[in-house]
This record gives sequence, C-alpha cells and structure tokens, in this order.
Amino acid sequence: MTPQTPSPAAGPAPTPGRARHRPVLGFVLDNLVWLILLIALTAFGLFIPKFLQIGIFLNILEQSTFVGVIAVGLSLTLIAGEMDLSVESVMALAAMLVALTFGTGGAGGGLELDPAWLAFPVSLAMALGVGAAVGALNGLLVVRFEINAFIVTLASYIWGRGLVVALSGGRSVYGLPDALRGVAVQRLLGVPLLAWVLIAVYLVFSFLLAKTPFGRHLFMIGGNAVASNRAGIRVARNVILAFLLSGMLAGLAGWLLASRTAGATANLGIGMLFQAFAAVVIGGVSLRGGVGRLSGVFAGVLLLSSIQTAINVMGMPPHYTMMIQGLLVLAAVLLDTAKNNLRRSYF
Amino acid sequence: MPAAALLELIDIRKSFGAIEALRGVTLSVFPGEVVALLGDNGAGKSTLVKIVAGEQRQSSGRVVYDGIERHFTSPGDAKAVGIETVYQDLSLCTNLDVVANFFMGRELTRRVLGLPVLRDREMEAETARALAAGGTQIPSLRTKVEHLSGGQRQAIELNRFVHWGGKLVILDEPFAALGVEQTRRGLETVDRVRARGIGVILITHVMAQAFAVADRIVVMRQGAIAGDLRTGETSPDEVVHLITGGIERIGAAPRNEQVQPEKGAST
Repeated sequence: MTPQTPSPAAGPAPTPGRARHRPVLGFVLDNLVWLILLIALTAFGLFIPKFLQIGIFLNILEQSTFVGVIAVGLSLTLIAGEMDLSVESVMALAAMLVALTFGTGGAGGGLELDPAWLAFPVSLAMALGVGAAVGALNGLLVVRFEINAFIVTLASYIWGRGLVVALSGGRSVYGLPDALRGVAVQRLLGVPLLAWVLIAVYLVFSFLLAKTPFGRHLFMIGGNAVASNRAGIRVARNVILAFLLSGMLAGLAGWLLASRTAGATANLGIGMLFQAFAAVVIGGVSLRGGVGRLSGVFAGVLLLSSIQTAINVMGMPPHYTMMIQGLLVLAAVLLDTAKNNLRRSYF
Repeated sequence: MPAAALLELIDIRKSFGAIEALRGVTLSVFPGEVVALLGDNGAGKSTLVKIVAGEQRQSSGRVVYDGIERHFTSPGDAKAVGIETVYQDLSLCTNLDVVANFFMGRELTRRVLGLPVLRDREMEAETARALAAGGTQIPSLRTKVEHLSGGQRQAIELNRFVHWGGKLVILDEPFAALGVEQTRRGLETVDRVRARGIGVILITHVMAQAFAVADRIVVMRQGAIAGDLRTGETSPDEVVHLITGGIERIGAAPRNEQVQPEKGAST
C-alpha cells in the first residue's frame, strides 16, 4: 500500500475473465479466515474421534469469550492507528476488584448487598468503571502528551498486573455469590450465556464500526490522521474514545472471567493479550491502522480456540498450542501480504 | 475581465528573521480564472500560497477575499470561506472507498434510538451526482481509493472541494507524480473546475502545463512578481527569461539556480 505502487489504471486493463471472477475472489479474500476455520474444523472432525459434537463447538465458543472480548478493544485501537496492550491487565484488575469485593473465601471482602441481586449491577459497574478509568488514562497520555501508544499501554500492562498482585497480596479469592455466577453457568436456548455475550459484543461493535460516524472516523484516523484532521474530524476525541471503549471491554471481560472462575488469582488471564493479538492479526486487522473487520477477528478467535480444544481432545501437551498459535500468527501475516499482492494484480 | 476579483493580495511582505521571502507581492485572481504561478525554487511561491491558505501569516500587506479583508489564523479559517490547498493524496484516506472520502467529516446520518447511523445509500447517490457533474468517471464508488490512479484521486479531491462550496483552490505541483495521460486528464479536470466559476492557483515547474491550462501566468523571482502576463500574449521563452532574471539559458534547467537573498532586491 505504499504510494509508490504503480496504480492499476496505469497497467494493462484487466481482462474480462478476470473481471468476472472479481466479486467471487474479493469475497473469498475478505472472508479467508472463515474459510480456514471451516477447513480446520473439517480436518479436526475427520481426524479426531469424538470431535464432531455440539458440546465441543459450544465449548469452543464459550472458551473464546474472554480473548474474544478483549480482542475487540484491541481491534478498535489498532484500526485507529494506535494499540492497547493493557487489555489483559485491565481484565485481570477488573476481575480482581470484583472478586476482592464480593468473594467469600481467601482474600475476598465478602460484601453482601440487600437485595442480593444488587451485586450483579454493582459489580458490573465496578468492572466497567475501572476499565473506563484505565482506558481514559491511556487515551489521554497518548493524545495529550503525544506518547507512543505502545509505550503508554505497555506501562499500563505492567503496572496493571502489579496492582492485581499487590491488591490480592498474592492470595487467591474464591466463592462469589450466586448473583454473580449466573452469567457463567446459565444457558439460553441451550447455548451458554457467555457465548451470547460474546456474540452480542461482536454484533454491537461491528455495527458501530461499519454504520456509525464514530466507526468510520476511526478508520479514517487510522488511514490518514492528517487528512482526518483537515477534514474537521475531532481526532483526539475519537482516539480517546477508542481507548475508553477498549478499557471498558477489558473490564467486561474481567467481570465475565471472575464470574466464570468464581474468584480471581494474581495470575488470572496471563497470556491472553498475546492470544488476542494473534486472533486480531489472523483476523486481518492491519497493525498499520485503518484496516480490519470484526467478523475476521471473530473467526480468528474461534480458530485459535478450536486448535486449543483439538489439542486438548487429542490429549497432547498444551505447549503445542502455543507453538501452533505462534506459527499461525506468522502464517497470517504472510497470507496478508499474499492477499494484498493478489488484490493489486486483480483490482 | 470580470468586475470583482475573488482574491486580491496587496503588497504582501513576509520575513523569516533577516530573510525577506516576499517583498511586496500584489496579485489578484478572478472567479473562473486559472493563474499559473511559476518561479524558481525559493522564489516565494510556496510562502505566498501558504499565506493565502491560512497556513502562515504575512508580515505586512492585505489579503482581500470576496471583497472582505481577511485575517486567517489557521487553514481551517481559509477553508471555512472556501479556500483550500489540494495536495496530492494528503487529503484522502486511501484505505476507504470513494464515498467515504467524499463525505469525510461531513457524513450524512439519521438517528436510530438516539445513535447517529450512516446513510450510505444517500451518500453514494450524492457522490455519483457530484462526480458526474464534474465530468469524472470512476467505475465503482465502492472501490478503495488506494486502487485508483493518481489522476482519479485528484479528481475526487477537486470534485469534493467544489461540491462543498469551495471557491478558490490552490494546486501545488498537482501533476508531479502523474504520467502523460493522467496529466492530460488532470488538466481537463482543472478546465472543468474553472468552467464552474472556481478560481485556481496552479503552482508548477512545467512550462507546457502552464501554457496548456492557465489564463494568466505569474512569474515570481526573489520574493517579488517578475511578470504577470496573459497566456496568449507571452511565450515560453519570455517566461524563462523572467524566471531566470534575464539571462538567456534556454535548455538549461532553471530550477537548479539558487536564490541569494543578499543580492539586491528586484522590487
């Protein structure tokens, strides 16, 4: 995508045959991750006994929730030409705060509210609030002090995790009230509530990115911040908002994670940042900004989760998962380059 | 000539410390007129258009636009009254399609449950109308701008400028990166913009482009106007004379000569 690239119009005109295949090819290229996911699932189904079960697919979906939700925040900031490495620590921080307040065992404070269901909205507000606070801080540092987002959010990633350890004193918390456990154990229409939340988050944010001025402006800022500014788009405000939303999504993920694990430990969710990053890259979000779709990210998350599940089902040691995921990230980047070359010669 | 000038620059001076970049420039541009601004590197062309576009302020002199004296403090001020510099590529988001770029920062929305939602179909229709009015043909408005040629990108920018009420456009070396055919189309686009009553200031180094499209050729030399000529009443030879300061050097590249501000001013 360098400006020096010879423009297509200067080259020979595309042949009619190519033109006819264009929409199909474009569709396949746009949804390549889904195709890969389909192939992977088919292969697992063929070669792994007992893989083809509804239960396993629901499990894959449910397992994807936490990485999936923080991957949305990461995507928002990447699309705007920034990045948010703090999502994992913010998630852990939100989970720990909720667990410390409402947990009945370990380091938990055992706060009881009357009526008991109040714990649900109060804990959710806490988690979203702490996420919003860290997100706003990240955004302000990036925009107002013009510090590189990598540095700002790396710092948040580190101090966030440090704060989690400090708050818990290294002890774990367990025993959350039923009001908080509901979302992790209930099902709706046979599908775990966590999976519904994941799907809802992707639908809402896909809509936000594709159909609202805010989403469109994020793409513009990531594509050309100078031009966006010249066109009267409030770049600073939009970037801060992206970080704020990323933080709140991480807070939501933390709240779900606390509910799921019925507590929190100091090393809760470690490594999820890299899984989220891998999913986002596999899903086709460009690290250079301005490019990406959440449907691709969703497929990326499901692909990683499927591989993890397949390895579990096969009884292979879990470190194979990391090796495969690492290779997948490399493959995704190579694929992206190949896709761009293909597009350039066809469009 | 039409009765009222769109832009009048009166005795504009600009100093950067001890260096006088502009030494009293007086120049006017009329609606529907293309003025080619020529001159050596460092002759003051860029400084002059930056003052017009609100990117810099003059040290002294007056900028009168649309009959009113203006004091632009930012490019936004100039843009608000219809003056804009169109840079190649710099004002487009190449990662998005033609429609998105056309409505950049001015998206049409409707409220759904209090949330602004883009009206994509209406925007596409309006973009199609505006481009058709400007005589620009782009196969699909849903094509990402990065897949379009440099000439098409320029056409989008110019049409966008006209569509949103632009009256005076500054083109700074607009054809520098374009091929022969694309340059020809670019000149046609400039022609159409002029036909719609827009004033155009075209900065170029290429004599042929100036003669192909400009109504007037203004030559700057060492921070002052060395010549303000109607295109039909001058010749490339004469313009080269004016650019280089009288020394006949046809065939040599005049752009290599450096301006030496210590030498006597030619006001």
